[in-house]
Parts: sequence; C-alpha cells; structure tokens
Amino acid sequence: MKWYDIISKIDRRIIYLLLTIFVILPFFIPFTIPQNIMPQTRKLFDFVESIPPKDKAVIISFDYTPQTMPECRPMAIALLKHCFARNIPVIGVSFDPQGPGLAVEAFATVVDELNSCATSSSDSIMYGRDYVYLGWKSGRLAALLEMGESIVSVFPVDHFRNAVDSFPLMQRITNYKNISIAIILAAADYPIDWIRYPQTRYGVKVGAGLTAVMAPQYYPYVQTGQVSGMMSGMKGAAEYEKLVLDHGYARILGTAETGMNSQSMIHILIMAFIILGNVGYFFSRKK
Amino acid sequence: MSPDPWIWIGAFLTLMIFSFLYKDNPFYKFGEHLFVGVANGYYIALYWHNSLKPNLFDQLAAGNYIYIVPLLLGLMYFTRFIPKVSWLVRIPIGFMIGWGAGISIPAYFQAEILRQLQGTVVTPESFIDPTNGIWAMIILIGVVCTLIYFFFSREHKGFLGHTSRLGIIFIMIGFGASFGYTVMARVSLLIGRIQFLLGPWLGLIQ
Repeated sequence: MKWYDIISKIDRRIIYLLLTIFVILPFFIPFTIPQNIMPQTRKLFDFVESIPPKDKAVIISFDYTPQTMPECRPMAIALLKHCFARNIPVIGVSFDPQGPGLAVEAFATVVDELNSCATSSSDSIMYGRDYVYLGWKSGRLAALLEMGESIVSVFPVDHFRNAVDSFPLMQRITNYKNISIAIILAAADYPIDWIRYPQTRYGVKVGAGLTAVMAPQYYPYVQTGQVSGMMSGMKGAAEYEKLVLDHGYARILGTAETGMNSQSMIHILIMAFIILGNVGYFFSRKK
Repeated sequence: MSPDPWIWIGAFLTLMIFSFLYKDNPFYKFGEHLFVGVANGYYIALYWHNSLKPNLFDQLAAGNYIYIVPLLLGLMYFTRFIPKVSWLVRIPIGFMIGWGAGISIPAYFQAEILRQLQGTVVTPESFIDPTNGIWAMIILIGVVCTLIYFFFSREHKGFLGHTSRLGIIFIMIGFGASFGYTVMARVSLLIGRIQFLLGPWLGLIQ
C-alpha cells in the first residue's frame, strides 16, 4: 500500500483516539489560545449593559437540552451573573420540555454563588423580588402572543406552583412593555418564533444564545437588527464569560473558556486530517 | 473520585454510549434503549402534569364545560384508527391549518421577507462607514447571484452563467461556514462529556 493510500484510509478508531487525546491534553497542559470577541457577542453584552438597573426585566428562555449543555449552560450562567450583578430583574421561562430542570439548576448555581458573598438581604438575590422562573408551557405560539397582553394569564403559577401575581417582581412586570429584551438560549429553532410573533406584533427586542449548528442560520437576523446580539456555540459562551469577567461581574472564568482550548486543538487536528485526506486523494488520482 | 452514585451512573452511561465508537455492542444497545425509555417517560409525565391535567381535565372538573370542544377535537385525531369514521380527522386538521395559516402568514411575511429585503437594500447611508458599505454591497451581490442560480426558466449561459457561477461560490461559502460551525458544535458535546468524566467523576480537573 502506497503512502497516499495510507493517509487517505486512516482507521476511524485512530481518528477518534486522537480526537480524545487532543480534547484531554489542554486540561492538563496549561496554555491559553487568545479568543477574539465577535461583534454579535459584544452587541448582546452591550445591550444588557445598557439596561437601567431595577427597571425593565430581561426574559431568558431556557430552551436548551442536556446534550447541548456544554454550549448553552455557560451562556446561561454568564448571562445570569451579568443581569444579577447589574440589578436587572430576570424572568425565566421554557418552551422546550427539557428546559425546566436545566433552568432551575442554572438559577441555583448562580444565586448560591452570589448569595454566598452577600452580607444583607439588599445585596442578595431573592426569588420573587429579583427573579422568577415561570416554568414550561406547551403551545408556545399562542403563549408568546398572549404574553404581550398579560404574562400572568399565560403563567398563573410558576414552576414551583406558587401564584405568580403574588411576587413583588411580577406585580410591576405585566407584559412585554416591561421587558427590555428576551434572550433565547436554544438548541432548536425557538428564537425565530420570538422574531416572528412577539417582535413583529409587540416590538420585543430579541437576543439569542445558540448552539453552533444553528448560528449560521441566524446571522441574517443579526445583520437586519432583528436579533440584537447573539452568542454562537461554545465560542460565543466563552466570549460572554470573558466580557463578564473583564467587567468585574464574575470572579472566575466559566467552563466554556477552558473548553475553548480543547476546541482550538481539535480544529487544528481536523484541518490536518482534511489536508491529509486531500493530499492522499490528489496523489491517488494522479497515479 | 465522586462518592455520588448518580455521577457514577452518568459516567457509566456515557462510557456505554462512547463504546459504539469502537463497534456496536450490548452495552451501547442498553444505554440507547434506556435513554429512549427514560425520555418517553419524562415527556409523558411532563405533558400530563403541565399541559393535559391543568389545561383540560382540571378545567372540566371545575365545571368549565366549554373545554369539551378541544377535548373532542383532540379525540378526533384518533379516528384515523377507525376506517368508518376516519374522515372526522379532517376537522381538527382543518382547524389547525386555519389557525396556523392565519397566525403565521402575516408574521412570516413581515419578519422573514420584508425585513430581510430591507436588510439587503443598499442606500447611501450604508456608506457612512465605508467598511459597512463594502459588506452591504457584498450581501447585495451574493443575494442577487444566489437567486439567479435558482432561476431555471432560461439556460445559464452568458451573463446568467457568470452570475449563477458566482452564486454557487456564495452558496459554497455558506455551506463551508455551516460545516465549520457543525464541527464546533459536535466537538463541544465531546468536550462537555470529557469535562464531566474528568471533573465530577474522576476529580482530576476543577
């Protein structure tokens, strides 16, 4: 077998093994590959940064799934830290059935971390005052439109079965008029429904935190301004984590930033395999 | 290593699924079937407790008999299994199509056609920032050439041939970007699992 046949027919198990080694190595050999902040991530950060404290709320729609947690969970954590650090009220919702458990976990992680440093009730994060999680709702198109009239009518009780209108936060946040932006963290095509319905009818600003697979589909909406900012995959999450850290809203980097070293290594390996495959193909054709 | 049994279960299930990378085996099959079963159970419980019970059965129990209408519409879907009355399924389907078209068509036109057309138009204001102006021109050329590629009423010769070939280049760049992002997404999933195995399970990383 010629050398070009060997490099164009590498056993897939060898490729998997090399991929695994290249993912693991960066966790033990400390190095940092600098990450540039993409404009769409900065736009989302700047938008949240421009929201006045203790005024309009941010809706975060937790529509990601357990398998996409490595991409979307760091986005949720960084975004929640950013909002809470700036005293921006947060309303969590889910339209994906797999979202509730992950949303509760993300809120608990951030709230526990921030409250462990709090010295009084005024600088701690309190459920019902600073944030609520309304839970999952089926029939999302009707729900999205109805929330423009009254959020409480769509979610009379929250995820924990408490009456939503009993919360101080929800007594002043009635519908989309009191919402500064809805940020959808999604592993499926949920943000488009926010663009088509609440934005078209009520002018709601929409932001997105998407898995990398979905990101190219949403660039046209960023270009037209229909999406006010976007985090794209693990890279977008790492960029948002970095912005949050650089502005002093977090003490440590999140999991996306550490994962990006592995990501960069893997990309180099995949490019090498693509080049090898093409060289092998070119020489075998020449023969 | 973690003392939490749930972490251990998660780790073993992850390894069972990864074992497919070597070759198909009973451990992978077990993991796959368990996942399908658990996912089904989760969805049934969630839809019952969060949708069917509060939105339909609790309402009927409270005496709101108008909810018999959606109940009947829903039950009509099952008439597909009874050939004699299977035509009844057209009623809920017609209802859903009517509702869906009414709600979607105006929103779709506004959000996906008019706004996207607006975003493609190049105006003198586009050139206030010269870099933005250049990108706006590239977007305009890309949209027009890609549309010409999908214009099949005339043979792609001469001007149409040149522009449609340029359209193919734009389409290929789009596919390349999508492929790159897909690789990044799939690698992210692997990184997530490796982080779980090395961190919460083995305790080798923070």
